[in-house]
Amino acid sequence: MKEKFKRGKWKEFLDWAQNKSLSMLHYCTGCGAIELPPTMTSRYDMSRFGIGQAATPRQADLLLVTGYLSTKTLRRIIYTYEQMQEPKFVVGFGSCTINGGMYWDSYNTIKQLDKYLPVELYIAGCMPRPEAILDGFLELKQKIDSGEAKGYEEYEENIEFYHKNQEEVLGEVQRTQ
Amino acid sequence: MRNEKEVIELIEKNLSPLETEEKRAQNISVKFGPEDTIQALSFLKSKGYKQLSTISCVDWIDDNEFELVYHLYSYDDFINISVKTRIDREKAKFVTLKEVWPVAEFYERDIHDFFGVEFEGNDDLEELILENWNDIPPMRKDFDTRKFVNDEYEWRDYDGQKHTD
Amino acid sequence: MMNMNGGIMMDKNTQTEIFFGPNHPGVPGNYGIIYDFEGDTVTEAKPNAGHLHRGFEKLMEERIWIKNTALVPRICVEEPDINEMVYAMGYEAIGELEVPERAHYIRSIILELARLQGHIFSIGGNAAGIGQYTVMHWGTLTRDYILDIFEEITGGRVYHIYIRPGGVRQDISDKTFEKILDLMDDLEENRLPDLDKTLYENPNAQKRWKGTAVITAEEAMEMGATGPVLRGAGKAYDLRKMMPYAAYDKVDFEIPTRESGDAWARLKVVREEMTQSIKIIRQLINDIPDGPVKLDLGNALKYKIPEGDAYVKIESKRGEYGYYMVSDGSLKPYRVHVRGASNPLGLYGVTEYLPGTRVADVPVWAKSLGICPPEFDR
Repeated sequence: MKEKFKRGKWKEFLDWAQNKSLSMLHYCTGCGAIELPPTMTSRYDMSRFGIGQAATPRQADLLLVTGYLSTKTLRRIIYTYEQMQEPKFVVGFGSCTINGGMYWDSYNTIKQLDKYLPVELYIAGCMPRPEAILDGFLELKQKIDSGEAKGYEEYEENIEFYHKNQEEVLGEVQRTQ
Repeated sequence: MRNEKEVIELIEKNLSPLETEEKRAQNISVKFGPEDTIQALSFLKSKGYKQLSTISCVDWIDDNEFELVYHLYSYDDFINISVKTRIDREKAKFVTLKEVWPVAEFYERDIHDFFGVEFEGNDDLEELILENWNDIPPMRKDFDTRKFVNDEYEWRDYDGQKHTD
Repeated sequence: MMNMNGGIMMDKNTQTEIFFGPNHPGVPGNYGIIYDFEGDTVTEAKPNAGHLHRGFEKLMEERIWIKNTALVPRICVEEPDINEMVYAMGYEAIGELEVPERAHYIRSIILELARLQGHIFSIGGNAAGIGQYTVMHWGTLTRDYILDIFEEITGGRVYHIYIRPGGVRQDISDKTFEKILDLMDDLEENRLPDLDKTLYENPNAQKRWKGTAVITAEEAMEMGATGPVLRGAGKAYDLRKMMPYAAYDKVDFEIPTRESGDAWARLKVVREEMTQSIKIIRQLINDIPDGPVKLDLGNALKYKIPEGDAYVKIESKRGEYGYYMVSDGSLKPYRVHVRGASNPLGLYGVTEYLPGTRVADVPVWAKSLGICPPEFDR
């Protein structure tokens, strides 16, 4: 285990501070993204929980994969995920990320998200209501506060497994640092 | 403003269709051989049928043929005309409609992506919707999508095993 | 060579290629444009489509007729009811079925409510494109009140699965009709006048939108683009009057038009169509007859129609939306081809009409024309 990932007093303080100010990347990848504007605006306001928006992947902590992923988008999502700074979290949204969902027999979509990226939390539904999204976010905040949200460490340790699965579906993948 | 019977008379007098039919209110269907189709479409455009809604392709695998359907519409008569023609399935080739309607270039690229039909005169037929696809064109009837998915992807195991085992 | 501020001017022959990519707040959805620009003006552009492709046409051939009514709304996510309506119309056209009168009226009410919520959401999106975030919040909130009515009628907020071949799934009670009329009064007296004062009378919005992204009536008819694009350029054309379907031949409404063909004209036409939609809904609720709401077609798992084909189309909020359906007499469809309303604009219109606009106005071009990527990606 790398030195910087060990949990001491400084890391406890950082986790407490980070769970109260998350920046979400606003990338609408699938059809579940139509329930995000009601969650972000004044009726079901999510900024009272400390979650805001970031414009670029370099400035974000939270990547929300809303719904299904076609292979063309998967290539861009991997490039985006590898650009984000640590600590970073991925949330799977909708039943298409769990086992393929409505498009289980389609030749162009992927069936399980956690073979390609490490996922902290799934929110079930097709599509989830804004109240369900806020419930999922509250659980994510608790997970970060207690120090159990370690998806980015798993990606570093099992990087051979993830790279092998990605290249099996996509062919050659462009890497970045 | 013409009604359906007058339009059918106009087509039968000036062109040589194989079959015409008045399907339902404001809808007509006409069939041509592959050599006469482009000339028929230009003639109809000059008589007021200015809108090309889309171009569809149907795979009749039992007859060993593809059927191309051009949907036209007029802003004066308010009638839909579906112009149909059949081409061979093994050597699927046809002439482009780009000179008459420039928007047809993208409809033909779409059909090339999904059915594998070549259009002479349209030399920009690179991939539009799919990316790096190296199997047979997916909308053909002999491509089995459930078998493809079961071979390429694995399904989730719900017995509590971790992914790294 | 020096310019006014003392810097050095660039050489005239520099062209840069840029990815106005899928991850951008200025694009309407997961879609990209690759364009070259020189100085401040776009010189060449091409579309980067296909990120949302799920293969709907192949999936529809693998399922029986009734199961497709649950799959079809997911094709266009902003206005899902038009897909259910056109699928049902195609089935009824090939099978030569007559739907009861009350079902026609209920279908028209559902379609007009879907048009209202789509228009207010797109006005909010256009306002966010020029930086007016207050109107974006108002637009999303007003749309939510209409989604509450849909939840009471059908059980779901976004995907309803309510219109099916032969009629609609269940009846609407009188209490719900009263709620719809109260909401229409609230919109007309409080919310839409506020929107007019804040957005349409604002000199910043007028300067941004007047004269940008001009498309003339001849160019639109050549491409096959209808809807606000054609009405904003001067031609009074609406499929609800020219090829009437459902109960539209029994109500009285006008077709709003403007002359200039720019983004300002299209957004004014959209606002006036909302007033006409409120008028149509009031007339429909006032005159609705009694009776059954669906035909009895037997066992739903064994629906069948004879051989044949049909091309059916309706007027969605963006223009002409059509399906070409082919049946071979079996339990599953043989071929279904989807023609989205923004198919010519998103693919051909980008290569032909985007060059010449300013770089800062590319989001205004993309959003005011109503480009919806899942319609042509399917």
